[in-house]
Amino acid sequence: MFAAILIYGFINSSILALVAMGFNLTFGISGVANFAYGAIYIFAGFLVWIFLNTLGVNYFLSIILAFISSYLLGYLMYRFIILRVRGLPLSEVMATFGLGLAIMELFRYLDFVGVKYSLPVFIDGSVSIGGHFIDYQRLLIGVVAVALTVIFYFFTHYTKMGLAFRAIAQDDETALTLGIDPDRIGAFSLALGSSLAALAAVIILPLGTISVENGYEVLINALAVCIVGGLGSTVGVIVASILVGYSQTLTANYIEPHWMILVSLAAIAVVLVVKPSGIFGKQKELEERV
Amino acid sequence: MLTVKNLMVFYENALAINDLSLKVGEGEIVGVIGSNSAGKSTLLNTIAGLTLDLKIKERRKGGERITLMGEIRYLGEDIVDMLAVHRVKRGIVLCRERHPIFPESDVMENLRIAAYLHPKAHFRKMADYTFDLFPQLKKYRRKRAGFLSGGEQQMLAIGMALVAGPKLLLLDEPLLGLSPAMQTRLVGAIKDIRATLGITIVISEQFARPVLPMIDRGYVIENGMLVLAGTGRELMENPEVKSAYFGV
Repeated sequence: MFAAILIYGFINSSILALVAMGFNLTFGISGVANFAYGAIYIFAGFLVWIFLNTLGVNYFLSIILAFISSYLLGYLMYRFIILRVRGLPLSEVMATFGLGLAIMELFRYLDFVGVKYSLPVFIDGSVSIGGHFIDYQRLLIGVVAVALTVIFYFFTHYTKMGLAFRAIAQDDETALTLGIDPDRIGAFSLALGSSLAALAAVIILPLGTISVENGYEVLINALAVCIVGGLGSTVGVIVASILVGYSQTLTANYIEPHWMILVSLAAIAVVLVVKPSGIFGKQKELEERV
Repeated sequence: MLTVKNLMVFYENALAINDLSLKVGEGEIVGVIGSNSAGKSTLLNTIAGLTLDLKIKERRKGGERITLMGEIRYLGEDIVDMLAVHRVKRGIVLCRERHPIFPESDVMENLRIAAYLHPKAHFRKMADYTFDLFPQLKKYRRKRAGFLSGGEQQMLAIGMALVAGPKLLLLDEPLLGLSPAMQTRLVGAIKDIRATLGITIVISEQFARPVLPMIDRGYVIENGMLVLAGTGRELMENPEVKSAYFGV
């Protein structure tokens, strides 16, 4: 039992980390809370399904196309919607949330409902770890989550673009005086965040069916992880994913799987009351010093 | 190198810069002296393009109306409507007041961020020069910049501006809030930057005493208007400057 919780908790944490990473990336860099995040997630899922089943494109190619589409969607969203309300957080939230609702409800309106909307797993089969069977897809989720975290660390610390990200995240005016264009980086952060949502979608969705509700669920989970971890903090995302992930798994095991989403909601509520800046609230340490 | 002609800057109806003209020659150190809210920062921000950037942002969200009029010629080109990023690419680098650094990054990372537009070789050369200029920073390479003292942050900010590859370096109140000893050290460094790298420098300051001896020429501004211009020596001996800025 203990081993099972350990393994499934890890997979669940990986799912949460994957889901939260894109949201956190966009917020951490440009300060835009992308509430259309869940919509982009199912947009990517449905797009793969459409390419694969309606248009008969090969699975791998469909995934690539969904990536590119999500990237463009994020980019266009910044250029045409967010740019006008840049620096007005409430308007940014309303704009992205409204767009997200529109996308998600459009899919419902177009009747994208039912069990037939599911994606095939990448590799069929499972492996036994300590007597517990775990399918390759779930294993892959764990591997991708860990790999992505490592890649991400190197990207933000050792590449020019990554360093520009960190610069914009800290002080965009100083970055501008060094020749870093905040709008360009902002658009890129939204585009990259959106393609991370797509990555999470194509790798997680084969575990179940694609539904509009997934979009809301993903948004809640992403928010929960980011709020618990402290918005914009990468370490926070990892720690919070593990915390929320294992709490969810324990809840599913000892109470009822149905209650898993309640863990996220409760986590949001508790953190906002007890420590609103989250476990790794940004710059707290420095602010207190100064 | 730089010619500002009849520059006017309005924030809504408030006049921040009023019909200001000045010239900066290649290789000069030029001072802009003025009290608080005289328009020093607005002037430097306008030359660097930050005011234009602010104007665009405010217009987008329907905020404050900023109006820019006049001419700023840099290396024979009118740059009034050029975006800040392109000005940096052409070599106008501004080091804003109150030591702008990235507090969460360590000293080396701050310098690496500043090298955004430049290849590695350039970065190495300028980073080495920065550490020669400010040996004190050497031992803090891996320290988070937010934990440095004000003077050290100012040194780092100047180092970052150098890594950004300036032909024209704009320093906005680099001596603000620093101890006299630290001020002397920075004045020495600024002279060294011109002597070693041949960079043209514009420096703004409200306390004229430490700055006047090092500048070739200076402009005194009040309420966004030019009230006096002259060589450093002329300004130092001017009775009005003496009474207003030296407290004599």
